[in-house]
Amino acid sequence: MSLFVFELRKLLVNKKTVILLLVLFALYSVIGFSTSLFLIGSNDAYKGYETLSTDYEGAIDAEKAEKSKTVYDEITARYGTDSRMIARSIKDSPETILAVKYKEFSDRVDDYRNGTPPESNEEVYGINALHSKISVLEKQGQRNTFEYKKLCYSLQKLIALDEPEFVNILLWENLFTNWGEHMMQFLLLIPLAFLIAPVFAIERSSGMDNLILSSRHGRRKIVTAKLLSVLVASTVIVMVYLIATFVFGFLPHASLHGWDAAIQSIPEYARSMFGFKVWQFAVVSALWLIFTGAVYSIIISLISSRMKNQMSAVGISLAILFINVGLAAMGDSVIQRIQPIIDFGLANVTLIKEVFGGYKVFNVCGSIVSYPIMAVFVLGIFAVLAVFWIYQGQKHRTVV
Amino acid sequence: MEKIYAAAVRRKDRRRVYIELKFERVSKNYKDKKVLKDISVTMSTGVYGLLGPNGAGKTTMIKIMADVLRPDTGRILYDGQDICSIGDKYRAKVGYLPQEISFYSNFTGRDYLEYSAALKGMEKSYAKKRIEELAYHVGLQNDLKRQCRTYSGGMQRRLGIAQALLDNPEILILDEPTAGLDPLERVKFRNIISAYSNDRLVLLSTHIVSDVEHIASKIMMMEYGVIQHMHIREEYIKMAKNCVWLVKMSAEKLVKYQNNAVISNVIAKDGVMEVRVIDEGKPFADAVQTAPTLEDVYLYIFNYLPEKTRR
Repeated sequence: MSLFVFELRKLLVNKKTVILLLVLFALYSVIGFSTSLFLIGSNDAYKGYETLSTDYEGAIDAEKAEKSKTVYDEITARYGTDSRMIARSIKDSPETILAVKYKEFSDRVDDYRNGTPPESNEEVYGINALHSKISVLEKQGQRNTFEYKKLCYSLQKLIALDEPEFVNILLWENLFTNWGEHMMQFLLLIPLAFLIAPVFAIERSSGMDNLILSSRHGRRKIVTAKLLSVLVASTVIVMVYLIATFVFGFLPHASLHGWDAAIQSIPEYARSMFGFKVWQFAVVSALWLIFTGAVYSIIISLISSRMKNQMSAVGISLAILFINVGLAAMGDSVIQRIQPIIDFGLANVTLIKEVFGGYKVFNVCGSIVSYPIMAVFVLGIFAVLAVFWIYQGQKHRTVV
Repeated sequence: MEKIYAAAVRRKDRRRVYIELKFERVSKNYKDKKVLKDISVTMSTGVYGLLGPNGAGKTTMIKIMADVLRPDTGRILYDGQDICSIGDKYRAKVGYLPQEISFYSNFTGRDYLEYSAALKGMEKSYAKKRIEELAYHVGLQNDLKRQCRTYSGGMQRRLGIAQALLDNPEILILDEPTAGLDPLERVKFRNIISAYSNDRLVLLSTHIVSDVEHIASKIMMMEYGVIQHMHIREEYIKMAKNCVWLVKMSAEKLVKYQNNAVISNVIAKDGVMEVRVIDEGKPFADAVQTAPTLEDVYLYIFNYLPEKTRR
């Protein structure tokens, strides 16, 4: 057997890890199933909603929007405006689900047309808001500024995307919540840290370093074998997460309705500048999670290669994962100074909602570069540096 | 045994008969403690024994030789080339049995040997053949399917020996190879090493003097990070030629006497103690001079000679 096969056996294909993966698969399945139930209530409620929403699908209808607003106002008068409270109170009634969803949709259309009010501190969004801001900059003679280019770019993208349309997209909304928000980090990336952390540290704690470092392939090929096995292990665990949450999110309702809609139909992605269909975005999201999982795993491997025991490696890996969550909680003046650390910290770039859900762009030598492309570049650098340091570390590693 | 001989002979055609490994002023410190002090020694084909008390620096020297530890100053030359600069090429020639053998919890004996073979870059078919051969020679042929963690200490040691010999290394480095082996296994191990060492360099570090006494072509005595002596067995015997005595005394007298003397052995015979004493002068009038063994010499060097002459 090759070294790679042995490393894979040590990391993934062994009794303990297989049991762990089965437990995780069961957990992810429950998460996929229960979150869809939380969002849309029983299967009967979903079927009812699916039937009712068929008549509402397409471009906005002012009459239906008005009707939905009336129902929505009644609900908020009774339960308050907290979105979780509303979601809980309506989940078993197809009519109220539809009314609330259509009201939210009409708000998104309004946002698309009018966007952020001039007094808002948010980044400018919406056709009218962008037009007016661009006019202001033109009057000030700032056509050559990056700000002007960015606004024109946003406007161009927004016009190309066209107005949002209403589609029954509940199950996909649930899927992207599972794939793209903090829950994913707790469910997927934390177990990943535990799985990958022993990859190098175990050789020190077990004393196998003596055998490895004195052997012909113990300084270079072993690193290649270990890194390949890390990539395979991380892909497998991410796939387990993706498959379990996908299958058990959709299976109970036996429907993939909305798969061909634009991702702007999903409330969380309403302001996305990317022209993906929902199914395309599912593929991109899966690839993104595999990619970021792989980069995170390589970073964990680097930490593992410098640690004497795996629990230290787990601790530091988790600290690195969540460091920018802590930083993001600081005041605005601090955040402005450390914005790149927050933007490209693992807690942000592993979230598809953060990366693909908005229209953040970066100024690279005067050119506009989108967040995903910039993130791929930055994560690529992280990964290359980590791999380099791992090889260097193994080359100079000694056993005292 | 025949198979080991045969393998050695078969490979001999492809081997150079002469190997040279040269330590040039090798030093190693752990923080402020000097563990190796300017070691300069040249080894060639044959078995070298490395003897010394705990903390003498034997394991550090061996780790540096196995390339798992780097010296602070000095270098080791393998056929004239610095082993740090030739790296993989040097390690491909080395078989190393560390003092403490470790295993992965889910590996069987066969997995462990196959993994070692993969680390050494051995061809699969050759590795398979060697594993069968060596498992037979170390008496583990029926235990390869068992998980390593269920092995006794002696079995783990034998598995480690098989691992070190797996790729017929030119340089075999063994750190306390017989710890935990029973007398029969130790004799068997010595025979394997003797048969094996024909055209190779074997360095064998041990506390057990008898392990090296009859198979080592040269024996190094090490203390305080310095190789104090490197001679053949007969030269060591000469060193303590007139210093070993047999004395008969009562048990009570022995209790008082032993704190101020170097005693290598005591045998009780009919209520009288026959004591083997190391002393440059005749310790008692009735003491009878006897021929020293290597163990006597070891005690003579490390326990009898004044410490300041050894530092």
